Amino acid sequence: MNAPRFDELIHPGTRLSLVALLASADWAEFAFLREQLELSDSALSKQLSTLEEAGYVTIDRPLRDHRRRVRARLTEVGRAAFEGHVAALQQIVGTAEPERVIA
Amino acid sequence: MQTPITPQEARAALDTIDRGRRRVIEEIDVPRWYWWGLALGWIALGYITDLKHPWITAAATLVFGAVHSAVAPRVASGRHRTHQLSIRAELTGRRTARLVIGAVASLALVTIAGALAASADGARHPVTVASVFVAVIIVLGGPQLLAWVRRRAAQAGAS
Repeated sequence: MNAPRFDELIHPGTRLSLVALLASADWAEFAFLREQLELSDSALSKQLSTLEEAGYVTIDRPLRDHRRRVRARLTEVGRAAFEGHVAALQQIVGTAEPERVIA
Repeated sequence: MQTPITPQEARAALDTIDRGRRRVIEEIDVPRWYWWGLALGWIALGYITDLKHPWITAAATLVFGAVHSAVAPRVASGRHRTHQLSIRAELTGRRTARLVIGAVASLALVTIAGALAASADGARHPVTVASVFVAVIIVLGGPQLLAWVRRRAAQAGAS
């Protein structure tokens, strides 16, 4: 688990839901994310662009069934930021395991 | 240092994260066509075995095994129910594919036992009878096995 670090970029509601989905996946297609989050194309694109600019997400456009698909995946940086953010949230609510003190 | 949000807001954020994780867990599954294809292949193999032509049976078994070996690694992990998502292996548990393939292998033993029982009972096509029985287990039990994997994944996250 990464060190607790509250991440202002990830925390806003929609972006947090988006990153939480991506954190459980190797990658997810744009259509899946849009359906799960009930967002418009433009709203989802905007959120993904913000995360991509921060280096948290990469966007691939593979060809499948003769059509270009948009796939998003968390980068190592994004995954580390997400884990740090989860740890920070757990720390705030007091559910994080207390650090072991070695005498 | 001042905490950026209240504990209540942090709890709500953790709940949001958990909901996202559970949505992905709901996607853990093996495509239905895999179970139906396996069941139909099983019956076909049983029928061919009952024809009592060893070479044809051996060839059919090899084809069945080859096709299954080509398909199973892709789908048996439960991580690719659709083309829209690839679920992380940590979420499904790395043993899911082994669990599915192990269950299929154990059904071969059930087929042999069933065929011996049907043969002792005087059935004209004992292997076909046993294969139909096992095919029903595959079609009904396969999705149940993956439902159990989903419950286990959800519990692992909750604990």
